[in-house]
Amino acid sequence: MSTTTATRRGQGRPESRSRRRVEPIFYFFLLPSLVLFTLAITVPGLVGIFFSFTDSIGIGDWEFAGLTNYIAIFSDPAILQSYLFTFGFSIVTVLVVNVIAFLLAVGLTSQIRMKTALRTIFVIPMVVSGIIIAYVFNFLFSNSLPSAGAAAGISWLETSLLANPDLAWIAIVVVTAWQAVPGALLIYIAGLVSIPGDVYEAAEIDGASKFQQLLKITAPLVAGYVVINIILGFKGFLNAYDIIVGLTNGGPGTSTRSIAMTVIAGFNGGDYAYQMANATIFFVVAVLISLLQLSLTRGRNTL
Amino acid sequence: MSLKLTRTPRTAVLGLCLALLAGLLSGCTGDSGKETIRFTFSKREAIGFMTKLVADYNASQDSTEVILDTSGVDVVSASFVRGNPPDIALANYNMETARFVQRGALSDLSGTQAATRVRKDLQPLMDQYGSYPDRTSALPYSVMASSVIYNKEIFAAHGIEVPETWSELLAACDALKAAGVTPFYATWKDDWTVAQGWFDYSVGGQLDTLDFFDKLAEAGTDVGPDSPASFQKDFEQPVEKMLKLAGTYVNKDAASRGYGDGNLAFSQGKAAMYLQGPWAFSEIAKTAPDLQLGTFPLPMTENPEDLRVRVNVDLAAWIPEESKHKEAARAFLEYLYQPEIIEAYNKSQLGFTPTTDADAAPDPRIEGMVEYYDKGSVYQGPSVLVPRTIPIMNYTQALVLGADPAATFRTLDADWARLAFRQ
Repeated sequence: MSTTTATRRGQGRPESRSRRRVEPIFYFFLLPSLVLFTLAITVPGLVGIFFSFTDSIGIGDWEFAGLTNYIAIFSDPAILQSYLFTFGFSIVTVLVVNVIAFLLAVGLTSQIRMKTALRTIFVIPMVVSGIIIAYVFNFLFSNSLPSAGAAAGISWLETSLLANPDLAWIAIVVVTAWQAVPGALLIYIAGLVSIPGDVYEAAEIDGASKFQQLLKITAPLVAGYVVINIILGFKGFLNAYDIIVGLTNGGPGTSTRSIAMTVIAGFNGGDYAYQMANATIFFVVAVLISLLQLSLTRGRNTL
Repeated sequence: MSLKLTRTPRTAVLGLCLALLAGLLSGCTGDSGKETIRFTFSKREAIGFMTKLVADYNASQDSTEVILDTSGVDVVSASFVRGNPPDIALANYNMETARFVQRGALSDLSGTQAATRVRKDLQPLMDQYGSYPDRTSALPYSVMASSVIYNKEIFAAHGIEVPETWSELLAACDALKAAGVTPFYATWKDDWTVAQGWFDYSVGGQLDTLDFFDKLAEAGTDVGPDSPASFQKDFEQPVEKMLKLAGTYVNKDAASRGYGDGNLAFSQGKAAMYLQGPWAFSEIAKTAPDLQLGTFPLPMTENPEDLRVRVNVDLAAWIPEESKHKEAARAFLEYLYQPEIIEAYNKSQLGFTPTTDADAAPDPRIEGMVEYYDKGSVYQGPSVLVPRTIPIMNYTQALVLGADPAATFRTLDADWARLAFRQ
């Protein structure tokens, strides 16, 4: 940035004057978002970080507690477990979502009948609120599936998936994926449509099979979209909250408590400062992941 | 930047602020010019009753408009953090509210008419959660006793008497099971039903919970296998008995049933006993208004003298210090405590009225507990005495679903010590 200004400054007056005369309307466009972002995100964030060094419960009197909260967090198995669960869940879900969405997108961009109608149907889950989806699936898992299992005589189906501490996370992956696939699907469709038809024609002439075309042409050409979907998806799943609340509420036992749930539990349950410390750590972790993803994807696959 | 540039945004910011301010101000006054107070009440079994009561109050006078807010406990706690609490609340009195009491977030109610009529002997129940110097921060409104709910018709049909000892209880369960009746209906999908029923009745029936939690608080960061009291030492025995009942005598699909399912199933006579509080009666009555039900304390020892019922201050009234309409809220508080209203409420919810002038004419369904309540054979459930930041309900749910009790209680001890370390 500084080098360009320097060279431009050396290039004489007319240039530099035109640079300075930026349309005021651009600042005007930026301002509302900047003000709202500062007031609603940055300031509360800093306040939260400040309180993580106190013993506040969110109301009333408080005192400085130094690093006490942070020391306690690192010896807290419940917090550690919530991190393990959230990351494991996010990785599995991101894989499931992207595989399904990619295959669906390939199907929905090929020459099939009722393409528009099918696309519409597949996108519907995206517009339904997460908590509603979760409650509907909760009913299916707790009532419909067990009765179906009982009727068909399949004994392992008779107890709800949600009641099994070792398997409840699978139910959460299924429901989250069901909701998240459409978003990824739309991005993949956009990516597939943008591939020019003539490369396929050339491949056809060279005698490539449909499967070879998928592997050698389609896959590399949508690689950038894959990266976008993985980053957006992973970031979203790390914040998992509403679907888990509606499905298991962190249970059975404590097996499906996500990081966001433990943070909010502190907000509601009188552990404000402690969970603010947890949120601060989570924030740092999220920043590290973003930096890692940026450095991994820089240069390649940019859109 | 030139002056022209700054002026435009400044106007924009001003406009934004004015819009926000207008939104805030319009929240303060209702359209009719009445003073508006927000009344928080989220006990779902009684929302119908309260809706009518609030409508009556709003119609009876012209100065105050009460708005009923039923959005729930978590929202209320968050509203305190945001500095925008309700003007008055009738809420479950537990560790949650205790935080507001201890840090002085609730205003003094000692000057009210209602405060003079509250039974003094109930004060220990309130004080157990702490107090704020020289303040009456909350007044009890409804005290509930809970124990086993049983289906009198099923008991009579199989010639079973109300058990008074642990072995009689097992015998009764075996007899029911042999006759093809599910002894207990359990709803483990909702973790709170495990905590308040299974866990509290089992532990409270065998252990002096008050004494235990006093010792625990004293031990603080030292809570563990070597402290005078610890979960791993004192809870393992009682919970073993709970797991014996939970493992043998419940419905097969307990793990996937919730509170609503339980009320329906119990009203249909699908089990003989149900570990719920009196709040479940009104729900059961929706589908089976004439079902003959009774209550008895869960016998956990061989000595009938040990029989006790679980009590809690199901509702307490409080007015936050930060409320801007305290006077109007206090007027509504007095209305709530009028004898005919507080008694009608408790009668409808099968609670005990905590005022001195209340006449005691118990509903037949809670008759089985009056004797114990009157002679003070009561305890507060351990699950409500653990701070909410420790997920005790999740732990109890894990226990009935097969988690190792020893490991669970070690975790609980460690949680307790860690909380003591940082607070």
